[in-house]
Amino acid sequence: MMTAGHDTLFFRIKDPMDVAKARREGMQMSMGLGFNQADATKIAVVISELGRNIVNYAGSGTITVIARSETNGKKYMRIIADDKGPGIPDVERVLAGGYTTSNGLGLGISGSKKLVDEFSIHSEVGKGTTVTAVKWLVK
Amino acid sequence: MDYSAIQKLENLLLVSVPRDLVDDDVIRMRRDILQAVRKYNSQIVLLDFSQVDICDSFFGRFIYSTAQMTKLMGAKIILSGLQDAVIETMVELGMALPDVDAVLDLDSALALSRAQAVQGSLVEGAASGPPEA
Ligand SMILES: Nc1ncnc2c1ncn2[C@@H]1O[C@H](COP(=O)(O)OP(=O)(O)OP(=O)(O)O)[C@@H](O)[C@H]1O
Ligand SMILES: [Mg+2]
Repeated sequence: MMTAGHDTLFFRIKDPMDVAKARREGMQMSMGLGFNQADATKIAVVISELGRNIVNYAGSGTITVIARSETNGKKYMRIIADDKGPGIPDVERVLAGGYTTSNGLGLGISGSKKLVDEFSIHSEVGKGTTVTAVKWLVK
Repeated sequence: MDYSAIQKLENLLLVSVPRDLVDDDVIRMRRDILQAVRKYNSQIVLLDFSQVDICDSFFGRFIYSTAQMTKLMGAKIILSGLQDAVIETMVELGMALPDVDAVLDLDSALALSRAQAVQGSLVEGAASGPPEA
């Protein structure tokens, strides 16, 4: 019998220590849901990149990590990074990669997108940014 | 955070990179590596990644910048013990690390550094030999 349900982790992000905690616990949760080491590592890195962006560009925000099992047996991890920072003026450009305003590599967002199955950014200048990433468990 | 794991091993400088590195630790570790390279006049710095299971873009930049800095001191960075999952993630993320060599484990690193040491002494021997006619 498959049971549906979900577990949620919620993190307030304001410094790199918070990011380290979120990615570590997110990784553990992914493995608990059944993800293998490689895919759990990818989920951890996505949490790390999004968390780091919150610290660097918005100052503070939150990360929610959800482990979900559906009635049909399908499972996935969803990561939601949310902040009330300055927003991203040109989302398409950031998604394309190689664009940075902080002397980084512009790899965080474009790279994270490659590590998951679904990736979307909702951002409004002056209001904030919400990034959502989903990775399905493939058996 | 215990990252004091920088030690001299034969002619290698062995750095055991801890599992969870926060940004400040990363910067401090890089300074410690540069200091130790100077102190021991190390030619090869081996970054042992076998404990590391999460490697994001910040970490990648740390590896790359450390490689550039040690190069300016005449030393070379070699990565060892990268886990499969970390390798897969780094490559898929798009984190290319040009100019950074890697070996599978510590044994291979030692073999490589011993081979280099032998080669070095051969070259030195040749240079100090009698000039050719
Ligand atoms: N939460 C955010 N709020 C505001 N701007 C953001 C946010 N996240 C990303 N950005 C903007 O998007 C750009 C690209 O982000 P991305 O994470 O891809 O690269 P980076 O942070 O510049 O460098 P890297 O992640 O490779 O170290 C950033 O430089 C920044 O201008
Ligand atoms: Mg970033």
